[in-house]
Amino acid sequence: MKTFDPILLKNMQQPGYTGSLAEYERAGGYQALKQVLAGVPPDDVIDLVKKSGLRGRGGAGFPTGVKWGFIPKDHPGPKYLCCNADESEPGTFKDRQLMERDPHQVLEGIAIACYAIGAQTAYIYIRGEFRLGAKILERAIAEAREAGHVGADVYGSGVTIQIYVHAGAGAYICGEETALLESLEGKRGKPRTKPPFPATHGLYQKPTVVNNVETLANVPHIVKRGSDWFASIGSPPKSTGTRIFCLSGHVCRPGNYELPVNATFRDLIYELGGGMRSDKPLKAFIPGGASAPFLTPDHVDVQLDFESVALAGSMSGSGGVTAMEEGTSMVWAALRLMEFFYHESCGKCTPCREGSAWIVQILQRIQNKQGRREDLGTLTDVCGNIGGRTVCAFGDAEIAPVLSTLKYWRHEYEALIEEAETLNAGRKAKDIPVLSVS
Amino acid sequence: MTMPQTQKTLTVTIDGIRTQVPDGTLVIEAARRVGVMVPHFCYHPKLKPDANCRMCLVEIEKIPKLQTSCSTRVADGMVVRSSVPHVEAARKSVLELLLGNHPLDCPVCDQGGRCDLQDFSHEYTPTVSRFKELKRVFPKQYLGSVIETQMNRCVSCMRCVRYCDEVMDAKALAAVGRGTLTQITHWSGNELECDMCGGCIQICPVGAITSRLSMYDYRPWMLKRTETICSFCGDGCQITVQRKDDQLIEVNSALGAGRNNGDLCARGYFGYHAGAHPDRVQHPLIRQPDGSFAAVTWEDALEHVARKLLTLKSAYGSDAIAGLMTARCTNEDMYVFQKFMRLVVGTNQIDSSARYGYVNGVRALRRVQGTHRWTVRYEDVLQADGIMLIGTNVHETNPITALQVKQAVKRNGATLMTLESLLPVRSTVSNITTLSRHHLTVRNGRFDAAIVGLLKAVCELQLVNAEVAERAPEFVQTIQAKVAGVSWQTIHEQSGLLQRDVEAAARAYGQSRRAVTLVGQDVLRAVGGEAMVTNLLDVQILTGHLQREGSGLGCLAEENNEQGAIEMGVTAEYLPGPSPLDETGSTAAFAQAWGQALPTGASATLMHVLRRAKAGDVKALFIVGENPVASLPPDAAVTDALDALDFLVCQELFLTETAKRAHVVLPACSAMEKDGTFTNTEGHVQPVRQAVEPVGESRPDWEMFSALSVLMEHPIEYGDVKDVFKEIRRIIPGYGLLGPASTPQPVNADVVARYVDGGFKEDVDRRYTLNQPTPESQGGMTLKLLQSVYHSGKYSTRAKGLMEVQGEGLLQINASEATRLGVKEGDAVCLSNEHGRATVSVTLNDRVPDAVAWFPEHFDEPVRPLFSLTVDPQTHVPVWKTTHVTITNVNDRPAGEGEIHDVMSF
Amino acid sequence: MLRAKYQNVIDDLLSRYPVKQSALLPLLNLAQKEEGYVSQAAMKEIAGILDLTPPQVFETVTFYTMLSLKPIGKFHVQVCRSLMCALVGADNLLGWLQKHLGIGVGQTTQDKMFTLSAVECLGSCGTGPMFQINDDYYERLTEEKVGRILEDLRQTGDCAMKSGPFLL
Repeated sequence: MKTFDPILLKNMQQPGYTGSLAEYERAGGYQALKQVLAGVPPDDVIDLVKKSGLRGRGGAGFPTGVKWGFIPKDHPGPKYLCCNADESEPGTFKDRQLMERDPHQVLEGIAIACYAIGAQTAYIYIRGEFRLGAKILERAIAEAREAGHVGADVYGSGVTIQIYVHAGAGAYICGEETALLESLEGKRGKPRTKPPFPATHGLYQKPTVVNNVETLANVPHIVKRGSDWFASIGSPPKSTGTRIFCLSGHVCRPGNYELPVNATFRDLIYELGGGMRSDKPLKAFIPGGASAPFLTPDHVDVQLDFESVALAGSMSGSGGVTAMEEGTSMVWAALRLMEFFYHESCGKCTPCREGSAWIVQILQRIQNKQGRREDLGTLTDVCGNIGGRTVCAFGDAEIAPVLSTLKYWRHEYEALIEEAETLNAGRKAKDIPVLSVS
Repeated sequence: MTMPQTQKTLTVTIDGIRTQVPDGTLVIEAARRVGVMVPHFCYHPKLKPDANCRMCLVEIEKIPKLQTSCSTRVADGMVVRSSVPHVEAARKSVLELLLGNHPLDCPVCDQGGRCDLQDFSHEYTPTVSRFKELKRVFPKQYLGSVIETQMNRCVSCMRCVRYCDEVMDAKALAAVGRGTLTQITHWSGNELECDMCGGCIQICPVGAITSRLSMYDYRPWMLKRTETICSFCGDGCQITVQRKDDQLIEVNSALGAGRNNGDLCARGYFGYHAGAHPDRVQHPLIRQPDGSFAAVTWEDALEHVARKLLTLKSAYGSDAIAGLMTARCTNEDMYVFQKFMRLVVGTNQIDSSARYGYVNGVRALRRVQGTHRWTVRYEDVLQADGIMLIGTNVHETNPITALQVKQAVKRNGATLMTLESLLPVRSTVSNITTLSRHHLTVRNGRFDAAIVGLLKAVCELQLVNAEVAERAPEFVQTIQAKVAGVSWQTIHEQSGLLQRDVEAAARAYGQSRRAVTLVGQDVLRAVGGEAMVTNLLDVQILTGHLQREGSGLGCLAEENNEQGAIEMGVTAEYLPGPSPLDETGSTAAFAQAWGQALPTGASATLMHVLRRAKAGDVKALFIVGENPVASLPPDAAVTDALDALDFLVCQELFLTETAKRAHVVLPACSAMEKDGTFTNTEGHVQPVRQAVEPVGESRPDWEMFSALSVLMEHPIEYGDVKDVFKEIRRIIPGYGLLGPASTPQPVNADVVARYVDGGFKEDVDRRYTLNQPTPESQGGMTLKLLQSVYHSGKYSTRAKGLMEVQGEGLLQINASEATRLGVKEGDAVCLSNEHGRATVSVTLNDRVPDAVAWFPEHFDEPVRPLFSLTVDPQTHVPVWKTTHVTITNVNDRPAGEGEIHDVMSF
Repeated sequence: MLRAKYQNVIDDLLSRYPVKQSALLPLLNLAQKEEGYVSQAAMKEIAGILDLTPPQVFETVTFYTMLSLKPIGKFHVQVCRSLMCALVGADNLLGWLQKHLGIGVGQTTQDKMFTLSAVECLGSCGTGPMFQINDDYYERLTEEKVGRILEDLRQTGDCAMKSGPFLL
């Protein structure tokens, strides 16, 4: 793999870089904001981002410039930008690093986005557990306000940009953009039915853009270095730029790696991550956070871009790559993730609310050697009745681990069920312990 | 949902049926129009789509995934399929998932037999479940004394929580927890405090929330149903009374039914046992020489009454007899009563409980705009962009009218202006003023000053309509001159209102396109009530709203048939119609219609009747359902008046304080036991139908008058109650179409012209002169008797369900007053003034203003002696529900203060 | 009472949002920080500040797992149990903690010092196994480190081993 000069992680890779305003400015920070506020019309900023091909880094990969373009231009009232820093997708931990190590990069991106869409107020919705990140951002906002990078009449341009940190309190679902808006409005974080979309009826029913931290962190660089530069990196025309991939699991060097998306999983796991941590070979990997279907060693040469991963039957999602070594039980792994989804289901839609509990109960039984032959059919069926039947994408996400492990490692399920049959042969049904979910 | 702006029509095909629907229609609603019933749990026409149950999924051409028909709006040319195999499979799956954790306890579930989950399961699901895991179990909960929740049956559709928020604006229910462990409850183990409207029970599609009043007493299919009208407040809700044999089981109201569109309040939903109270008078009673009552036959009782009345009439003349009637009776009862009094007894001395204040509003309406009814209706409230409430306390007195206001504000974005004597403090009991854009807390009950303030703002802010200024310059200039003579300082001193707040409200009102004003008891039941309503109509005239489509003023009736009492001629100044009694034209017309000349004697209002009785001029009083002993304070000396009578006959449900003094008590049917009609506060004449058999030997009131008329040899006979109504319609052409909402009465332009061209001058000086404030006792508090949403008059205190909700009167004061007085929730305090002393318990309520204490009028017995009576010099309305008291903590009471006689202690 | 002590903080929070209700989570976080949990009195007070009803506050509290309705230990040890941490030893970590603290998951030590919880993903998947104690993350944990952390907290109320800004 070619060596690559990182974009987003560049500053913080400098020894001693603390992310203070002075250091960020020394590294060329806030030049992009100055540049646009000096007279680039907002529409041109949106065009620039459109042309760069930047796509959302939160998971769905929606083109950012297009999203900004949906904001009605003639809307008389306030508009809002929400920075989605509710990083909660198991396997993903990049936004935390961006916020804690180089907060001004994120703030500059937010400020430019605010200007582009005509929002005077931005809220950074940060997951409640990231207390440190919230403190660092608060401090950075105070610094930036003090220096005049944000606040009223930034650089004398007449543009007002207020940025506030808003901490969540423990709910994965608030990473879903409409649930985030509900939560920010002080309610239970239940996703909204769409339409209407946030672009017209978002926060307080006003036009709103919700962008991921990493997405926004890219914006200053695109402004500074141009859309052509950005669009030339990666796998143009559809997947451009770099992405930060979060490597976890049974590898030698887990961590965040910024790569152009034409790199492969092999590059990430074996080259950067140093390969597997023991002599046990790779058995499976999750390519894009807990919501992405598992892939097998046969897929390590797939490119990291959205399209290639989709073609391989999974999704690039949030960029969380988790490698699992031989010997890891796939039933156990699916159960662990399913327990996560069960715990985090908001309970709005029947299929997800009831289905997640049912699936957990079945998987726990199979795992505890109380499985039954008909369970696998039921599992497939229940998953099929969740997918595509819910208000938000959570329903599609939660079935991915079960369906993909069933697809590639069905024999592991069957072996556990056979064990159960042997074990329970001759036992009366009432003597077989029943499990309840907690 | 806002009103569709454009009436564009779209074409949609559902299961092969093409139809046209208005733009904005939801697919599920379009389907219903063509007879395709899409199964659903969370959808409800009153609620915003939430699309959570996923039961109503349908296939829409060109959209890859199945869509929820409850949240998808029809697009032109849309093709929808609701009964293809994969749609049905999706529904089956939702049911399988819902039933997984469901306890399947249908045999002991009160909803069994009318449960959506049961019905859809029957339609879509195989009988064997694949769910073999341990079920999630929640313990059952009591949400207060009348509601039970069984969360194992819940389908998490959130209809209850959404209704409580979106429709009731109470926000008393919480969805607690997350995911499959979500439960509906109040909060943190606290006993449910809310409007107790029963809406959560009614809207629950399954048996998760049920009423405890008839728990396990029935299976729904055993119930016999009767559609009738609620007999508590003037809103006139349509209710479905359900009984098993003759046991009352439940009252509810179907979506789309009546003026209430299926919504009810605590009284309607939980108050149905009032008439079934064991204390009902079962037989005619005649007082014995030893003072006790003896049960007698109807023949004996009626003959006794007839004989006594005839004897007294011949001895002292017709005007030695007078009649009083409650406005809870049916129109038919009222009509026959006044006809009996006029033609058989021969007196015009008839009055009703409309005298307590409703008559003030009607008199003003008739004078200024020539109508005796509202010129708007609920539909106009919903469409109004400006709504002004004045002294209404509407969420407690007329809860269903309040729902229209809530909808207008919450759904349709109307601007609400409230001039009320309460503070806009939110709690889990709804408070209309929290929805107000311009809330003005009127102090000291000085609504007269507040209204003059509005007029002053209208004049000073140039909100006077140009056409009006041109058409009626003298009227406009006179009022401008009058308000110029009242300073903002005076208005502030008297009502507590600030100029800028009054101006803001006036501006919002003046700038509204469709403005509805609703006037309540604080104005109507006050001295000068007629003048205040007249002044409010002046506001309407000046701002050009009086004759504008969709704008208008309505007076809220507290009792169910106060409007009927006016229109049936049981109020002193009116004949049926109402036609003025003092107009020769109308008396002649009635003489012709009835074939008999009308009595020529003067009419008499309630207070006149009592005075004449006390003076010995009235010898016999015929009281129908009215209870003046408990409805007036001691200094009205009602008992003296009654004790002076030679003969008192009461037609009653119960032995009330008044009936106990009667010589004869005739047992009357409750509204659930008879047929007839009520006219609601909006002016809708609605059918009352017999739902249960009369208790004991009780009979409908009108039958008794008719029977007496025969015995008094002046028969007024009808085949049945329908014949009475036919006669009413003959006398009052077009009375009560009994169909769907009739159109409201239009403003009579000739009457308005007469008013602005000079009529207004008659009393304009008086109306625009503010009385000096009544001096308050030093350091004292204002004690006010107030209506509660859980009760209506004294009648509802017989309803066991409502007594569970509110079974006693507590003194309500705000937290800072409590601190000042050194008392806390539940403490006993002593109220005293020059009239007496009472000991009551305290409850905290932060919507009570400083220096004010509220007490529910339904339980006023212990505090009644503290009040004194004032009678309106113009309209003879008795006013007494406000007084001044000193409140002391009972524990702090200094020794030796005991010489004042304790009138009541707990 | 929050208002008595934090009027300025509350005013600042309210100034950030055009709709008061938005300040609900920040105020609940404040209340929890103050009392260690969200009390009924706090819910009532917050409802009053934001013009909400207590049930609205209550239902929101119960949606968010970081908010507790019951008092908990001085140090709330929350172990990430999700798959990524589980692959690198989250279950061992829970075992060590149970051994060191002598309590099970969901329990609080007798001295009210520690409450142990197993929670879902804390966004620290590359540095597991890990836990969060109150505001701080502790990452790449070993049994020896766990012992020292608990000891430090018990002794001094603080521990230098908590994570600083995310390290590469």
